[in-house]
Amino acid sequence: MTDISSGSVPLTTNEKVQASLGRRRRKQFILQGLGIGAISIAFLMLFILLWSQIATGYKAFMQTNITLEIFIDPEEVPTERLPRGNFDDVLAAALVANLPGVDASDRAALRSASGILSNGAQFDLRDRIVENPALIGQTITMRMPVSDPYDQLYKELLDRETPENLRRLDDAQIANYDHLVEIGAIGSRINTGLITNADSRFPELAGLKGALMGSFWALLTCFLIAFPLGIGAAVYLEEFAPKNKLSDFIEVNINNLAAVPSVVFGLLALSVFIGWFGLPRSVPFVGGLTLALMTMPTIIIATRAALKAVPPSIREAALGVGASRQQVVFGHVVPLAMPGILTGTIIGLAQALGETAPLLLIGMNAFITSAPGTPFDSATALPTQIFIWADSPERGFVSRTSAAILVLLTFLIMMNAIAIYLRSKFERKW
Amino acid sequence: MDDLRAINNDVESNATKISAKNVQVYYGDTHAIKDVNVEIKEHTVTAFIGPSGCGKSTFLRSINRMNDTIDICRVEGDIRIDGQDIYDRNIDPVQLRARVGMVFQKPNPFPKSIYDNIAYGPKIHGLAKTKADMDEIVEKSLRRGAIWNEVKDRLHAPGTGLSGGQQQRLCIARAIATEPDVLLMDEPCSALDPIATSQVEELIDQLRESYTVVIVTHSMQQAARVSQKTAFFHLGSLVEYGTTDDIFTNPKDSRTESYISGRIG
Ligand SMILES: Nc1ncnc2c1ncn2[C@@H]1O[C@H](COP(=O)(O)OP(=O)(O)OP(=O)(O)O)[C@@H](O)[C@H]1O
Ligand SMILES: [Mg+2]
Repeated sequence: MTDISSGSVPLTTNEKVQASLGRRRRKQFILQGLGIGAISIAFLMLFILLWSQIATGYKAFMQTNITLEIFIDPEEVPTERLPRGNFDDVLAAALVANLPGVDASDRAALRSASGILSNGAQFDLRDRIVENPALIGQTITMRMPVSDPYDQLYKELLDRETPENLRRLDDAQIANYDHLVEIGAIGSRINTGLITNADSRFPELAGLKGALMGSFWALLTCFLIAFPLGIGAAVYLEEFAPKNKLSDFIEVNINNLAAVPSVVFGLLALSVFIGWFGLPRSVPFVGGLTLALMTMPTIIIATRAALKAVPPSIREAALGVGASRQQVVFGHVVPLAMPGILTGTIIGLAQALGETAPLLLIGMNAFITSAPGTPFDSATALPTQIFIWADSPERGFVSRTSAAILVLLTFLIMMNAIAIYLRSKFERKW
Repeated sequence: MDDLRAINNDVESNATKISAKNVQVYYGDTHAIKDVNVEIKEHTVTAFIGPSGCGKSTFLRSINRMNDTIDICRVEGDIRIDGQDIYDRNIDPVQLRARVGMVFQKPNPFPKSIYDNIAYGPKIHGLAKTKADMDEIVEKSLRRGAIWNEVKDRLHAPGTGLSGGQQQRLCIARAIATEPDVLLMDEPCSALDPIATSQVEELIDQLRESYTVVIVTHSMQQAARVSQKTAFFHLGSLVEYGTTDDIFTNPKDSRTESYISGRIG
């Protein structure tokens, strides 16, 4: 090293390298700093989002319940009139039995006191008795959700200090509630209803089952349509189509399609699927078709990138031993590209899961109180359910909205985790 | 030298396997092969030598129509194998490549098991009826590729997990597993150690009995050792073609002489 520059040039190579080393280190240091800064900001945003949703949403994962001994009075619920009967009176009687302060003959006081029972309680009771009519004449113990204001009271979201006329519960109701708490009739449990109930006008009964099933059917439809079509289109374009003006034109258009705002797809679906083909509104099948339109460009682009990334030497090797083009593509290139294809597909589906606008346009924001059994039953989807709940005035829906957002985020995180897992599992080295 | 000459004379009487007339190859506007005429003999090892970038690989790839896969590549002229024009409309390149095997300059095993690497060709051509047949083909090919002893205990390990030289021998074994008529080898020994090289050279010599072998090499010694005929390419042209012995002892063109004596390269 030294003898090359010995004599006329004063600096040796080693010294020159030394001099530039400091500058290079500084540059790298700055770059690393910027990178760490960017990641920190991204994490902070994510943390704020999650924290705000968890802070408001976690209460919706618990539900306040009331447990009562109920005497099924044969007078009120005669066997021969089932499934009809005065179930609400039976419940009110059971409630009043625990409230010495309430005069059972005072209709107004009775109505005010039984407001603690959710409107759904009488239907739960009815279902239980219809299932087993032998219960008539007996005393059963039943746990029911309390109505929303009492749930809020239990969760300390309803302020006792507010003047009575501005409060949703008057002093007498609060006194009744306090008595029930004292005798241990009121408790709180994990709110399984959030997942197992369909939507309801009453926050304490509203659940996500309909939305989850709706999203499931819509995504399934979307996957079954977009995955084969997307891969087929990408494989054809990448491997078989002649490279000319037309294929360039198609490529540009597919890339454009991926950038079209989702509301436009919604309008398209509204006029084509519902307007021309006469498919029903509000059904997950149409939702899935619409989402497929949006997901397909993503899948096509991801698939083409994955196919391009397969080294040409593999194609040559297969062609060299006499494989036909189709054998090369389906025997070697597509299997090697599969992890990339699957990753792209899952990311596309995760996008589709969170998509709201097109589903609103095709009517998947209807109020539907039963979960869809097939893709052709009216339903909502997770994001549209969030939209509906966020729009509802009842206090109970505020925390339920956040809870629904957390459920949606959980699914998104799960899907992305699967994508990452697949990518690392099938990563190949050539 | 005397016995070498005897072999060479032998070869001259062999029938022509591959004949190329006025072959031009273009990559877009680049004229990579300029008016090449050559007759390659059956049961002969023919070496292509010449400086880097002179078009040896390009010409080799036009013999099994591998250049068809490069969009910008265009081949003109007439290349015949057994008298049949391989660029004829009726010729299916797939069928041609089954007859004309190729070993590429860079080892390119499939990212599959060693066994599957060898079995792939025979499988798609339906050469083995039973699993036992296939096992036999795989073993035979690996033995001929001088790699059997190293891999016999891990036939189901991935081929990409082998060393570079082992991968190249795996690729040679893969190319001969389909029993082609013609074997094109693009620098098959560039990643091999001397022992593996001599094994491959021995293999090439054996292959000559049943096949026609064309080998690209940068090693003059190798060309002299394994080939009976040598073609010297320079800047896309075929400068000189003749028996290996003549090319190395008595080159007619001054460029050939400078190349083999190490002055161009
Ligand atoms: N795919 C390609 N696209 C464009 N030009 C190419 C391509 N392949 C080869 N060429 C050009 O064709 C000429 C011949 O290349 P070729 O690969 O045949 O050389 P070679 O004799 O095999 O060299 P080496 O001994 O280094 O392998 C070179 O000038 C090269 O730049
Ligand atoms: Mg080459």
